[in-house]
Amino acid sequence: MTADALSLVCNLGVLDSLSEASISEILESWNSFCLITETIVKGDDADLSSSYSKFQSYVSSLCKYGLRSLVEEHFLISLQDMLEKHVAPKFWKNFDAYSNVTDLEENDKDMHEDEVELLLCKALEEISLEKQYQEKYLLMLVKSLQLCQDSTSMEGHPSDVEKFFFSKYHLIISSVLMTTLPRQFPEVLHWYFKGRLEELSTIMAGNYEDSESQDRIGMELYGKGKHPTQFGNMDIDGSYDQKEILENKLVRNIGMVVHNLRSLGFTSMTEDAYASAIFLLLKAKVFDLAGDDYRSSVLESIKEWIQAVPLQFLHALLDYLGDSISYLSPSSMKSPLASSPSSCYPGASKPSEGIIRWQLRLEYFAYETLQDLRIAKLFEIIVDYPDSAPAIEDLKQCLEYTGQHSKLVDSFISALQYRLLTAGASTNDILHQYVSTIKALRTIDPAGVFLEAVGEPIREYLRGRKDTIKCIVTMLTDGTGGNNNGPGNSGDSLLEELNRDEENQETAGLDDDINIDDKQAWIDVQRWEPDPVEADPLKGSRYRRKVDVLGMIVGIIGSKDQLVNEYRVMLAEKLLNKTDYDIDTEIRTLELLKIHFGENSMQKCEIMLNDLIDSKRTNTNVKATINQLSQTGAESQEHEVSFDILDATIISSNFWPPIQDEVVNIPEPVDQLLSDYAKRYHEIKTPRKLLWKKNLGTVKLELEFEDRTLQFTVTPVHASIIMQFQDQTSWNSKNLAAAIGVPVDTLQRRISFWISKGIIAESSGEDSNDHVYTLVDSMADGGKTGINNEELVADDDAERSVASVEDQLRKEMTVYEKFIVGMLKNFGSMALDRIHNTLKMFCVSDPTYDKSLQQLQFFLSGLVAEEKLELRDGMYFLKK
Amino acid sequence: MRCFQELKILFVIYRWHAVVSWTWDAHDETCGICRMAFDGCCPYYKLPGDDCPLIWGACNHAFHLHCIMKWVNSQIPQAHCPMCRRE
Repeated sequence: MTADALSLVCNLGVLDSLSEASISEILESWNSFCLITETIVKGDDADLSSSYSKFQSYVSSLCKYGLRSLVEEHFLISLQDMLEKHVAPKFWKNFDAYSNVTDLEENDKDMHEDEVELLLCKALEEISLEKQYQEKYLLMLVKSLQLCQDSTSMEGHPSDVEKFFFSKYHLIISSVLMTTLPRQFPEVLHWYFKGRLEELSTIMAGNYEDSESQDRIGMELYGKGKHPTQFGNMDIDGSYDQKEILENKLVRNIGMVVHNLRSLGFTSMTEDAYASAIFLLLKAKVFDLAGDDYRSSVLESIKEWIQAVPLQFLHALLDYLGDSISYLSPSSMKSPLASSPSSCYPGASKPSEGIIRWQLRLEYFAYETLQDLRIAKLFEIIVDYPDSAPAIEDLKQCLEYTGQHSKLVDSFISALQYRLLTAGASTNDILHQYVSTIKALRTIDPAGVFLEAVGEPIREYLRGRKDTIKCIVTMLTDGTGGNNNGPGNSGDSLLEELNRDEENQETAGLDDDINIDDKQAWIDVQRWEPDPVEADPLKGSRYRRKVDVLGMIVGIIGSKDQLVNEYRVMLAEKLLNKTDYDIDTEIRTLELLKIHFGENSMQKCEIMLNDLIDSKRTNTNVKATINQLSQTGAESQEHEVSFDILDATIISSNFWPPIQDEVVNIPEPVDQLLSDYAKRYHEIKTPRKLLWKKNLGTVKLELEFEDRTLQFTVTPVHASIIMQFQDQTSWNSKNLAAAIGVPVDTLQRRISFWISKGIIAESSGEDSNDHVYTLVDSMADGGKTGINNEELVADDDAERSVASVEDQLRKEMTVYEKFIVGMLKNFGSMALDRIHNTLKMFCVSDPTYDKSLQQLQFFLSGLVAEEKLELRDGMYFLKK
Repeated sequence: MRCFQELKILFVIYRWHAVVSWTWDAHDETCGICRMAFDGCCPYYKLPGDDCPLIWGACNHAFHLHCIMKWVNSQIPQAHCPMCRRE
């Protein structure tokens, strides 16, 4: 060993000059040095002071011969040996119990937590003690080296030598521990910090609830610049209670542990452990606060919590470790970080760079967690939109911070596909969700860029539904939106709501217009922001593309004309069934529609409403003159039915949707009444005359049985039917149909109303397809006694007085049927768009072909259903 | 009020609300000047009926009042029926 060591010196000249005596002295000194080093390192330091002087003399004698490096090396190696053989295994042995932690169950972990804490503290203390001893020995060496250095006047400052040795020693200790690191140690650390943080959090939470004011003071202190002596202040300040002290103690404990760990070289592992623990806690907190409640904003409280718990903890910790000095200029630090928040996440930035960095990191993490949580639940949030506005607001802020809008779009679209755009969802629900989506996303993204992306699948889907237009019109005009159990539609129609919004916007816009001076213009210019990167450049800039709910809805259908047409049909239906002339709500709706769709497109509807107003006036007029006549003339007695019961709605049929005309013989006295009415009208309004639509209108009638009275509101046909039974209680269907003047099948359909009401009974007659209808005796109808003055309305969805839009289309298209048939005869087979183009080319006048491809397709599919045409592989054929 | 007494049941109609459409009692369907339906209105006015009446000339040709007035005003001093050139 000595020969080896000597060869290391590599200075053969020196070797030559050595005398025998010197060699023996060196050998002796070396051996003794080795021995004494061994005893010292082992810690058998009963006579440390006595061995120290011996040690020193050996060291100096060795140094004298230029063997200083050898001495240093040997000492360090023996220290390392000691660490490897005894200290490290002893330390790790403490954690052997947790070697299979990963297999343990969650609740087991909970149970072990306290144990872990104690164990870790103890183990760290032990190893630290050990380390202190070793450092003491190292110091011994350093001192003795310094002594001989003075005599030999070697280069280097004494403190440099000390530093050099200690850094070397630290390197040794950390590398020894690292190489022997058991797998479970990071896990153990993680547990420890998790447990401590939770403890701290509960203390803080208690604090927070107990004394918000105190917390605020703490917060202010933070805001003022996070005084390093803050905790000292707190202790001095009497207002801080027991909890504060407890908390300080806790933080100090943790600080001690962290300090010990760092001194052992576990800096990054420790950081990882407490960072992950903090993030875990933060995540749990966000989940806990956010939960499934969208009615309140949680972002602020999360931020407060970050301030109150993890930041305070970190602050205290960094204070304890004396690390927060590095953070001196928070404002200059904050701005670059705030503008690029992603830079501090998830990179393992050093906590030593200060609290601010930690704060940003934590806040970003909180934002992201909350955002993910909200995005995952966006569908539900939008379902109860007006109530969930705070959640939307939160999400907006999160997204502004994280900029992960595309995540929202993707996740929301897939949620829509799974949950909304399915056959099971009613069109109304889809529309409501669509409107809520528009409103909600408008807050998040005023430019509507993401809305565009999200809305497209819904629009696409709705276009495929037949009742979309009808539902839209109902939703727009009807207060209940045709969906009584739906959320968020309490009596106010969508149109009214839109109008309110509009008015608000307009007043704001007006202000803008008035004071557009240079200053204002400059402000506007400064406010300009570029479109989000996801924006479609074809769609124009954000200012031209203001999100317009109605526009988006009309966008579903494609054109407003279709919408207006559908509204006209619905309006006609509504107006024709009115018994009073009260149309205030309709006028209001029409005015609102006019604002949005322009006066011209609503003109026909306006005329319809005007007809109603005119009818009211004319009706009173006509009736007044008739009553005058009847008072003077003797003919009043001949009239069996008074004019009082008759009202008429006089319509300008050109402007109404096509009305279904059906011949019906109404009861003779009423018929008489009508013709008298028409006569009077003709007298008043020459040269205009009236054409009765006898099948339209409503009749209120009362059936008085012996024991009860039933009131009905029915159509004239129903009334005519029941009136036939006053003369004759039993009819067979043929005769009854003839008497009323309707086909038998119509009669059968209509009379079922009375049958269902239990007024008329049906029995099969002699002929197989002949039925006999009999008036039900009141007494026989035992099941329905005790119903008095019941208002029943005949509501047959099947029979509408106005032709539906589809019927209109079919009627209009029949003109082209001949063309189409002729074309197909010539060409054999044609594709849809070819038929469309040919029609466009040849039918230019009278009537001009102005239908869309969809309308044509609809008509052709009708022809296919009628078996006139055949459709194979997208080509239409004539049916042979 | 009229009551129908038959057996034990009394039928009472107490309100009959009928629907009726009006039309001009003219032979033709459309105005010879604006080619719009009489029952509609001339291009200058929005509301049909009282606001846009018809007028019959001596020749028994009917026109929208506004249409024929415009015609007559443009034909000073002598106004002829645009259909048959009679005064």
